[in-house]
Amino acid sequence: MNGSVRSSAGLIWRHQRLVWWIFAVNLGIAWLSSLSVRAALRPILDRSLESAKLVTGFDVGTLALLAERPDVSARVLAPGAIIAALLFVIFLLFIDGGVLAVFLDDRKLSRAEFFENSGLFFWRMVRLALYSVVPFGLLAAADGGVAKLAGKLADNAPQDWLGFVVNMGSKLVIVALAMFVRLWFDLAQATVVRDDERKVLGTLTRSLRLAFRSGKLYASYIGIGLFAAATFGIGAGIWFYLPHSATGASFLILEIVTVTQIASRLWLKAASARWVALLPDEAAFPPLPIQGTVGAAADIQAPVPGPPMSE
Amino acid sequence: MMENRCWQICLTAIVALLTVSGIAQGAPLSERVVAYQIEGAYNANTHTLDATEVLTYTNRTGTTLNKFPFHLYLNAFQPKSTFMTEAQQTGINGMGTDSGWEDKRFGSNEVKSLEIVGSGDVTKQMKFISPDDGNADDRTVFEIALPKPLPPNQSVQFRIHFVAKFPEVVARTGYKRDFLMAGQWFPKVGVWWNGAWNCHQFHALTEFFADFGTFDVKLTLPAKWNVGGSGVMTGARDNGNGTQTVSFHAEDIHDFAWTADPSTKVVEDSIKLSGGTVKIRMLMQPGHMSSAARYMGALKGTMRKFDEWIGPYPYPQITVVDPPHGAVAAGGMEYPTLITADTAWLMPKSVLIPELVVEHEFGHQYWYGMVATNEFENAWMDEGINSYMEAKVMDALYGKSTSWVNSRLATLGERGMYQTEYVPSADRDPLSRPGWLFLDDSSYGGNNYGKTALVMLTLENLVGEKTVMRGLHAYFDRYKFKHPRPQNFTAAMNEAVGQNLDWYWKQAIDGTEILDDRILTASSERVDWYNKADEKAGVTVYCNTVIVHRRGNFDLPVLIEAKFDDGSTVRERWDGKDRWHRFVWERKAKLVSAEIDPDHGYWLDRDPFNNSWTAKADGKSAGKVAGYWTLLTQWLALVLSCLT
Repeated sequence: MNGSVRSSAGLIWRHQRLVWWIFAVNLGIAWLSSLSVRAALRPILDRSLESAKLVTGFDVGTLALLAERPDVSARVLAPGAIIAALLFVIFLLFIDGGVLAVFLDDRKLSRAEFFENSGLFFWRMVRLALYSVVPFGLLAAADGGVAKLAGKLADNAPQDWLGFVVNMGSKLVIVALAMFVRLWFDLAQATVVRDDERKVLGTLTRSLRLAFRSGKLYASYIGIGLFAAATFGIGAGIWFYLPHSATGASFLILEIVTVTQIASRLWLKAASARWVALLPDEAAFPPLPIQGTVGAAADIQAPVPGPPMSE
Repeated sequence: MMENRCWQICLTAIVALLTVSGIAQGAPLSERVVAYQIEGAYNANTHTLDATEVLTYTNRTGTTLNKFPFHLYLNAFQPKSTFMTEAQQTGINGMGTDSGWEDKRFGSNEVKSLEIVGSGDVTKQMKFISPDDGNADDRTVFEIALPKPLPPNQSVQFRIHFVAKFPEVVARTGYKRDFLMAGQWFPKVGVWWNGAWNCHQFHALTEFFADFGTFDVKLTLPAKWNVGGSGVMTGARDNGNGTQTVSFHAEDIHDFAWTADPSTKVVEDSIKLSGGTVKIRMLMQPGHMSSAARYMGALKGTMRKFDEWIGPYPYPQITVVDPPHGAVAAGGMEYPTLITADTAWLMPKSVLIPELVVEHEFGHQYWYGMVATNEFENAWMDEGINSYMEAKVMDALYGKSTSWVNSRLATLGERGMYQTEYVPSADRDPLSRPGWLFLDDSSYGGNNYGKTALVMLTLENLVGEKTVMRGLHAYFDRYKFKHPRPQNFTAAMNEAVGQNLDWYWKQAIDGTEILDDRILTASSERVDWYNKADEKAGVTVYCNTVIVHRRGNFDLPVLIEAKFDDGSTVRERWDGKDRWHRFVWERKAKLVSAEIDPDHGYWLDRDPFNNSWTAKADGKSAGKVAGYWTLLTQWLALVLSCLT
C-alpha cells in the first residue's frame, strides 16, 4: 500500500500543474457565478452601517435577514451556483482522458497530445459517469434508508445515542462502499484510456472483477481518503480559530483546503492509473469465460500487479 | 367505589372549609371558580386513564347559568377533528398529518357517565358542539344543559366518569415508551368571559383558557415510577400490588398536568425569593443529566429576574419535566407550576436551547399562569409578552447578541431571532386575530411571538426601558389571577407611561402595518457650487442633505444621526407624519454617515440595512459573503465531481 500511495503521490507532485489548473478552473467558475451575488449584495451592504455585523463577527440574525430579502435569497442565487458546479463537472469529464494519459505514461504531454486525449475519450468518460450514477444512486438511497431507520431508532430506542451511532456507523460503511465504487470506475477509466477501449460496458464488468482483486489499491484509496479528511479537518480547525475580521486569511485557508481536496482526488486517479499501467495485458483483461464451460470462472487467474513504481 | 366516594366527600368538605376560612395556604389568591377532585388509575400498557372527576363550580358570573360547556381536548387527536384537519391543511409538522395517519396518534376523552349531583345522570343530554367552525366530526367541546338554572354565587357539582386515551406524544401531551406527559387530559369546563361562555374547540395552532380554582388529584400507577404534577405532592402510597397511589394538591391555578416515567432521576433544589422559598423539582432523563445544571442555572436566574422586575412567584414549588428523546413534542410547554424543558444528549454548550426553553416556560407562570389571558383569542398576550420577557431575561443572563447561539463561529441573540421570525410574515396577520385564523404556523409564531416581542422592544425606544417594565409590573399587579383583555393591557401600559399610546397599539396590535424607513439619498454639495476655486477643508461650506423615506406604512417618529468629516455629530427628529422628509445641514464639513434610529431600538423595522448611509463605500461585507458563496460553489462542484 505504501508503495502505491507513495508512487502515485510522486505522480501528483511531478504533474502538479494539473492540480493547479483544475483548481484555477474550479475557482474561476465559482468566482464568475458569485459575481451576481456580489452585484446583488453591494447596493445593500456597501454603504450600510449594519453590514459591519457581518465583518466583525458572524451574526446569524443579520445574515438571515439578508437571506430573507427576495433579491438575494438562496432560491434566486442557487441556480447560478448549480450551473457553475455542473460546468466544472463537464470540464473534468472533458480533461479526464488527458489527465489519465499523463498518469499512465508518467510524462508531460504536449498541449496537443493532452487535448487530443481529452477529446478522444470525452464521450466514453461521459458514459462512464452516467453509468456511475447507478451505484452511487443506490448508495445514496441506502444512506437515505439507513438515515430514516436511524431517525426512528433515535426516536424509539431506549438509549438516546443508539440512532446516532447507527447513523454514523452506516455513514462510514456507505463512504467505504462509495470509495470502492470510485475505485471500480477509476480502474475502468484508466483501462479505457490505456487500451483505447470503446466497449465501456464490457470494460466496467472486467474492472469490477479487477476491483475485487485490488485489495492493496483499495487500502491506498482509504488512506488517501483519510488524508483528504484530515487536511479538511485541520484547515477547518485553523479557519475556526481565525478572527472574523481576517477575511483574507480565512479565504486563503479554505482555498488551500480546496486545493488539497482536488489533489486528493487526482491522487486517487493517479493510484488507479499506475495500477492499470503496471498490469500485464492479459491480467487486465483475462479472457471471458466461454459460455457453458463448467468452472471457467474459477480458472481466471487473479492479476498479479507489478511492483509499485519506485520514484 | 363507595370508599372512594367517602374520601372525596370528606376531602371536599375539608378543602371547602379551609378555603372559606382562608387558612389553607393563606388567603385565596384567585376567585377560585372551580374545584376539581380527580381520582384515576393509569394503565401503562394501553396508555389509558380511567378516572372520576368531581367538579364543583361556583357561579361568580353575576348571572344565572343554565348550561355548561366542557373541553375534551384529547378528542382532537382523531382524523376528522378540527385540530387534525387544520394541521393537514396548513402543513404543520409533527402533528401526525405530515407522515400519514397512524393509529398510535389516536387520543380520546370518553365520558362514560356525567351526573349533576342532586339532579341525577345527564349523560344522554350531552351534546357535542363546534362553536368555531361547525365541524360535526369535532368532539372537543360538549355542552350540557342544567336541569335547574344556577343562580349567582351558588355552586353546582358535576361527577364525571371518563377514560382518557393518550396518543403517542403530540402537541405536548401523550406517551413515549414508558414516559407519559399528561396534559389536557380531563374534562375541563369553559370560562364565562365577557358575558358569555368561552369554550373554543381545540385547534392546531391554539392553546388553552380556563378558570382558577383548586385541584386535588389522586393517581394510581405502576410502583417505582417517578411522578410529577402541578402543585405539590401531598402523599405517596405503595399499594403492595405493583402499583402506587400519589396525591397532589394545588391552589389558585387553572390547569393540572402530570407526568410519570420509571427511568427519570429527581434533582431537587430550592431558591429564596421575595415571596418565600420555592422548591425546585426536576425530573431528568438519565441521558440528559449534563443539562441538569444548565436548566437549574437558567431557571434560578429567570426566577430572580421575574421576582425583581415583575412580582413574586406565589407558589411553593416549580416542577421541571425533561422529556426523553423522541418525545420532543412534549418539550417546551407550560402548565401551572409545571413546565417541560427541551434538550438532547449531544446539546452543544454554545446553543442555548435548554436555557431559553426553561426561561420561556417559567415566564409563562406569569403570562398565562397568573395573568390568565385567553390563549385561543389573544395568543400574543401570553406568548408575545412572554417572548419579550424572554429577550430581557436571556439578554441579562447570557448577553444581548449571544443569548441564542454563542460560539466562535457565529452568534445569535434573541432580538435577531425574533426579527428573522417576524419579517417573512410581517404583513400577514394582525395580532388581534384569533389564533386559529392565522394563515399558518409561521405567521402564528412570527407574529404572536416575534412581532409582539419586537413591538415591546420598540416601545422601549419610544418611552424608555424602565417605563415599559414599570407598565408590565403594574399590569401584572392589576390582572394577576384574572383574565384580562387586550384593552386592559394597553390601558395599563398607557397609564404607566403617562401618555395615550393608542396610535401605537392600533398599528402594532390591530394592524399589519410594516415599519420600513430608509435613507433614500444623501449628499454633500458646495453651497457656492458656481465657484470654480478649489474646495478647502474647514472653509468651504456644504449643503448636506439626507432624505428619509417612509417605505412602509407604520408611522413612528424618526430620529436621525448625521456624522461629519470634522468629527461633529448631529441628531434630529422628524415626526414621521409624511412619506418623506428632507434634512439639511449647512456647515463647513461634509457628511460621513447618516443613520436612522442610531440607538438601534426600532426592532420592528424589517430592513435594517437601508437605515444608514456612508459616504465611503466599504465592500468588505459584500466581499466576505460573496467569498463564502464562491467557496460553497467550489465545494458543491467538487462533491458533484465524484461522478468523474
